[in-house]
Order: sequence, then structure tokens, then C-alpha cells
Amino acid sequence: MRDKSHGEQVERWAEYVKHNSDWKIKLKGFLDAQIIMARRFYKKLGETEEGRKKILELRGIKTS
Amino acid sequence: MKREIDDKTILDKFAGDFCKIVEKHCKYIIVSGFVAIAHGRSRGTEDIDMIIERLSKNAFADLHRDLVKAGFECQQSELPEVIYNDYLSDKTSVRYTRNGEFLPEMEIKFAKDELDEYQIKTRKKLPFTELDVYFSSIEMNIAFKEELLKSDKDLEDARHLRIIYKEELDENEIKNIKKQIRDLRLKENA
Repeated sequence: MRDKSHGEQVERWAEYVKHNSDWKIKLKGFLDAQIIMARRFYKKLGETEEGRKKILELRGIKTS
Repeated sequence: MKREIDDKTILDKFAGDFCKIVEKHCKYIIVSGFVAIAHGRSRGTEDIDMIIERLSKNAFADLHRDLVKAGFECQQSELPEVIYNDYLSDKTSVRYTRNGEFLPEMEIKFAKDELDEYQIKTRKKLPFTELDVYFSSIEMNIAFKEELLKSDKDLEDARHLRIIYKEELDENEIKNIKKQIRDLRLKENA
């Protein structure tokens, strides 16, 4: 279980979102960065045969 | 302040483009994590969860073809009959991404019981998100997260949604949905 201060932060941010219309601008970089970084990681991993196998495994894709 | 198109995140654009195509073929809902994220919850996700009405094999093949035409691919198979027979009909989800991209992905499954059908029947567009897509109701998302899913992340999502919709929530509806979850999902898993 996460600690009390984590829960307080969740509430503080939710109150901010509720009362301020610029929340999406503030969040956009954070949300997009996770996708951009993950794409970069998969691209790098996919450069080798071994890496491509790991991608399929990571993503639970049937190969046969 | 009115948000402009540039405010849209990669997830927003992906969801909007995908849903536009699905809506031509069947009723759908976006559920779970992306509902909270579209309401400003500051956490990551790599997939968006979608439940669609049960379709016949032919109707699904038409939907799949339209998605492919629009630049999406299914990670499990490119053959609609394989996707239908081996996954969707078997209550297993499949994942679509934009061609050549690993992320984000749309995780799709068929409605599996009357609770899913009720979710689809009571679907809503949620103006706060400024997204032109259908979501399952906020009450439904809170009930699922608090009664079934229950991880730290899910409980925080529920808390976030409760704060955003503090004045509008129908607590009786949440209570009723939780009862249905216990009857239909938890007993099934017990």
C-alpha cells in the first residue's frame, strides 16, 4: 500500500484538475513522454533478432 | 480557457481516430484507466480498454477491414477470422496499434454479460474530457475500481474521479453496480 503522502498528492492534483482548465497542458508532456520513451525502447530492442523475440514475449503475442 | 487541438495528447488522438471508425460499425465504450487519465489523472498507461457489442463474424470482419484501411493493425493476427475465433469469441481481448507502432494500443473485447451490456446501454460522452468518444459512466468506473479491481492504482483512479464529480455522483447507482459486480463477476471467479 502506498503511503499517506501519496494519497494526499492524488487528492491535491485532482482538486487542481477540477478547478483549473490548464490541467491538460500541464499533463500533456508527462503523458506523451511515457509513450515516446516506450516507443524508443521498443525500437532499440527490435534492432536484434533476440530483441524482436523479447518484444513478442513481452507483449504476449502468439508466434505459432 | 478553451483548450486548443494542440492540447491533445498522443492517447487522445489515438482514441479519437480509433473510435471514429468503430462507431460506424457498433456501439462501444472506453473503460477503466483511460477514463481517469482523460480526466487528468497523472499516471501512465500503454493501452486503452474498449468493450464493443458482440458482432457476427462478418460484421467484425467489416470493422477490422475499416481499421486496417485507416492505418491500424491487430497485434494478434491480420486475419479477421483468427481474431474472431481464437480471441474475441473466446472472451480474450485483442490489441490494435497504428501500423508499425508498438504504442499506444487499443485493447478490445466483446461485451461478455449483462453488466457489460448495461455499460454500453448507459454509455456517455463526458464533456469534461473534451473528447468525442463514448465512455462507460463515471459511476460504473468507480464501482469497478472499488469493488473488483482494487489495486492501489485503481483505488487512486476512483478517488480522483470522485473528487472531479463530487457534486454529481449517483451513490445509489454505484451501490447497485457494485451488487451486480458481486453477483456476476465475483461469484463467477470464486
